Amino acid sequence: MVLSLRDVSLSLQGNAGVVDILHDISLEVAAKETVGLVGPSGSGKSSLLMLMGGLERATSGAVEALGHDLTAMDEDALARFRRGHMGVVFQSFHLIPTMTALENVATPLELAGVADAFDRAAAELDAVGLGHRTGHYPAQMSGGEQQRVALARAAAPRPDILLADEPTGNLDQATGAAIMDLLFGLRDRHGATLVLVTHSQELADRCDRTIRLVDGRLDRETRRTAEAAE
Amino acid sequence: MTWLAQAARIAGRELRGGLGGFYIFLACLALGVAAIAAVGSVRVSITEGLEREGRNILGGDAEIEWDFRRGSEAERAYLASLGTMSEIYDFRSMAATGEGIEADRALTQVKAVDDLYPLVGAVEIAPDISLDKALAGNGVIVHPVLADRLGLEVGDALWLGTRELTITALLQREPDAGGDGFGLGPRTLVSSAALAGAGLLAEGSLFETKYRLLLPPDTTDEALDVLRAQVEVELEGTGARWRDRRNAAPQVERFVKRIGSFLVLVGLAGLAVGGVGVSAAVRAYLERKTPVIATLKTVGAEGRTIFAAYLMQIGVLAGIGILLGLILGVLIPLAAAPFIEAQLPVPVALGVHPFPLVEAALYGALTALIFTLWPLARTEQVRAASLFRDASGPARGFPRKRYMAALAVAVLVLIGSSAWLSGIPELALYASGGILAALAVLIGAAWGVRVLSRRLARTRLARGNPALRLALGAVGGPGGEATAVVLSLGLGLTVLAAVGQIDANMRAAIDRDLPEVAPSYFFVDIQPNQLETFLDRVQGDPAVSRVDYAPMLGGVVQSIDGTPAREFDHWVTRGDRRISFADTLPPGTRITGGEWWPEGYDGPPQISMAQEEADELGVELGDEIVMNVLGREVAGTVTSFREVDFSSGGIGFVLIFNEAALRGAPHTWLSTVYAEQEAEGQILRDVAGDAPNITAIRVRDAIDLVTEALSALAAATSWGAGATLLTGFVVLIGAAAAGERGRVFEASVLKTVGATRGTILTSFAIRSALLGAAAGVVAILGGAAAGWGVLTLVMEAPYAFEPVSALAIVLGGALATLLAGLAFAWRPLAARPARILRAQD
Ligand SMILES: Nc1ncnc2c1ncn2[C@@H]1O[C@H](COP(=O)(O)OP(=O)(O)OP(=O)(O)O)[C@@H](O)[C@H]1O
Ligand SMILES: [Mg+2]
Repeated sequence: MVLSLRDVSLSLQGNAGVVDILHDISLEVAAKETVGLVGPSGSGKSSLLMLMGGLERATSGAVEALGHDLTAMDEDALARFRRGHMGVVFQSFHLIPTMTALENVATPLELAGVADAFDRAAAELDAVGLGHRTGHYPAQMSGGEQQRVALARAAAPRPDILLADEPTGNLDQATGAAIMDLLFGLRDRHGATLVLVTHSQELADRCDRTIRLVDGRLDRETRRTAEAAE
Repeated sequence: MTWLAQAARIAGRELRGGLGGFYIFLACLALGVAAIAAVGSVRVSITEGLEREGRNILGGDAEIEWDFRRGSEAERAYLASLGTMSEIYDFRSMAATGEGIEADRALTQVKAVDDLYPLVGAVEIAPDISLDKALAGNGVIVHPVLADRLGLEVGDALWLGTRELTITALLQREPDAGGDGFGLGPRTLVSSAALAGAGLLAEGSLFETKYRLLLPPDTTDEALDVLRAQVEVELEGTGARWRDRRNAAPQVERFVKRIGSFLVLVGLAGLAVGGVGVSAAVRAYLERKTPVIATLKTVGAEGRTIFAAYLMQIGVLAGIGILLGLILGVLIPLAAAPFIEAQLPVPVALGVHPFPLVEAALYGALTALIFTLWPLARTEQVRAASLFRDASGPARGFPRKRYMAALAVAVLVLIGSSAWLSGIPELALYASGGILAALAVLIGAAWGVRVLSRRLARTRLARGNPALRLALGAVGGPGGEATAVVLSLGLGLTVLAAVGQIDANMRAAIDRDLPEVAPSYFFVDIQPNQLETFLDRVQGDPAVSRVDYAPMLGGVVQSIDGTPAREFDHWVTRGDRRISFADTLPPGTRITGGEWWPEGYDGPPQISMAQEEADELGVELGDEIVMNVLGREVAGTVTSFREVDFSSGGIGFVLIFNEAALRGAPHTWLSTVYAEQEAEGQILRDVAGDAPNITAIRVRDAIDLVTEALSALAAATSWGAGATLLTGFVVLIGAAAAGERGRVFEASVLKTVGATRGTILTSFAIRSALLGAAAGVVAILGGAAAGWGVLTLVMEAPYAFEPVSALAIVLGGALATLLAGLAFAWRPLAARPARILRAQD
């Protein structure tokens, strides 16, 4: 299994006391599988994605990725593990404001020790249709453009697992479709496993499996049937 | 005016949020205002004390003073006709526990007084008997330090010269101590009558005679001026010096003024440092408020409404900060009062003075306004559209013209008022110019380091090294804190470096001015008939390496080449001068012009003059100098110039006559003795045992006294530096705290894409190093410039760059900032990224 969660719960300390966000979630994701996370706003989709990426510490339960126990690793070990293994696209992009688009995309490549980091970053930006905006800072780009830079940054190191929070949320129909093709291309060409949070039925339909969350619990799991695939 | 009312309502709503996030702003302003208010209060207390107590400190309304002699009968009669007159002798002497070589001796500053002393004020002594009783007969009052040094108590015998006296009391307070300046030894008080025949006040000995006058109580300052003019005409050419109650303690006044003005400078610099913090805090606040401002614009608020709303908010906060500063500024001097009062030789009551508080509040308000206007004026450029995109990029560009004009006016008012109110206009102007120049250079340096970082980020060097590139991006990229950090760190370090330069130079000056081989003793008041015995004793001693001696007598310059002395403004032509005579050229003297008279020369008087003073007075070879030497006029022709080094600790006279010209005049001998330290005690006992009237001044003690006075100045410097350092530190913590949000966010994102904490910390360190280097280079240059300015223009001392002090201060300051920044980043670095990133959503 590429990802496996067992009895995972998450509680956070909010202003008005402890908030239980996720309850006893167990699920497994196989290699090259594409999983869509759906559910109403506030149901815990983003939180679950953070747990899978080791960006959040589970209150209880076990999270394993590629055979590594993420709950047992410290911050540096997690950071090193993510290099080349895991790419994350945040719901609100989180580009570094003091870096240009090109530098944002090149950073994970450099950290992974890639020699031609900038050439590959430029190619990656080209692939998301931003080849002409490499020198711009995040504040100089639209929301959709920033989102594409974030996707390029996550995809550039060819990660084994790509976690994306509403990757097409801010995009128009045509650009959204292009981004979807890019995401599935990663799986088809490089064998990446995809976990996507989405509100888009179109995107959910293309996933191998959709998992629906309601109030922090697994509500329903839908597997795409063979006939639907055709 | 509805827009103003609207602005006030908006401001009120925003202020409900409390003072959170404004602690740095408040601290910066309060510290700066407190420092200025405290210094001002102490200064006003002292100057008011000097003014109010002038009569007490002087011990009368006016004082006429002669060196080396008593006023003649005619002179005394004239002075006595002006008011009630009291006569006082002031001189150095050796106080001894007995006679002969077994006795212990210590240098003392003797004041011999008549029955009328003190004309004003009261001498406090222990036991509490009347002064008349204590000084009756052979009674003597000594300072407790002298009694301690000699191991004597009330009732014991004390010898001055050849006279045995009895200690009747210990001196607790001498009302006119402040006016006497800083003496070389502890005080002894005795009646003049008791000293008659003690061999201490022989003609030509080193002593001062002071005639104190008590005038009718309704004598105005104008009448005093008239009287002064009369006296100066009457006593012209006699060497008489006038002082009155308005400048009773000139030495103390000069000292206080010097330290006070220096501290005001440091205070202004501190306020400028604080101003950078104020500016950074306001900018950070407004940046946080960008969405609010954009929303207000979207719903129809005009630029001026928003400007006024935020100006009001900051005005309220500035008011709070200034008030806090004033409270501190009042409390600090009151708390330190016992310590400060004990340090001063004049009676001072530290209290609350409104004027320095108003002054400090004014400076504080102007500083807050100046450093707020710029970021505030730029809110007008916030476009409503920024609401709909990532608003991390701050408003850019120059504010509109009218705000620029307002800014210029505020700066001019601040500079003008500091020049006018501080009472040291030139200094205040220099300081303001220096601070403005430093700010301009620092803005340039910040711009330079940002451009350089952007360039470097594009080079091969940065590629493949994300820690370096991240740092370069943070410095050169948009929305960085680079300018604020370089400004605050740079200005803080500049002030510190300047203070360090001044301090190091003053210490170096002490060392430099100490002669390499200083004599052990100055022996003065050696009578001509005692010279042979004295020389026998010291010259025959194997522990003595060198003995110099010269005759000495007092003389008053009357005219130079026909021009009356009063038309020169030079110390040589004012009052009594110590002059000498010699037949042959004294050993080690270098003639720089003209020729020394032949041996045994017996013709018309000739003079050899010090080259430097001759140049200053415009004296040429062949000029005639007329002197009054103890009532006799002597006219001599300048026939040679000499090089005289007054700093070598040896004997140096500006004017030397040929021996025959003055041999007959009453004179004493002066001698410097260079001896091994172990032998010093025995030499003193032997010399004074033979001739108790000879006064020995230990050069080491005299040097310690000078060092002490300079240390007080150095201590004041350190206090000023401490206050500035504190402000600078608060500003830097503010900058670090303001930058923390951004830094922690970056760290979280970087972790997500695979950066370890080591990489991230390295990057932060590189960033600090870049900014620190820019600030440090400017600080070293600025500190050197300011140090040069203060030393040469204010202290009139030579300046030399002191690299060790400069580097230590700049490196230490930069390192401290780096560590503070890292400490701020450490904890959040350990947290999981999701928590931090979620907070940004
Ligand atoms: N720091 C926090 N403290 C307390 N509660 C939190 C915190 N962060 C998020 N929550 C709550 O956790 C729940 C899950 O949030 P999450 O962001 O995972 O939802 P989501 O499914 O991604 O929603 P959306 O579709 O709107 O993005 C929400 O109810 C949210 O209010
Ligand atoms: Mg979400």
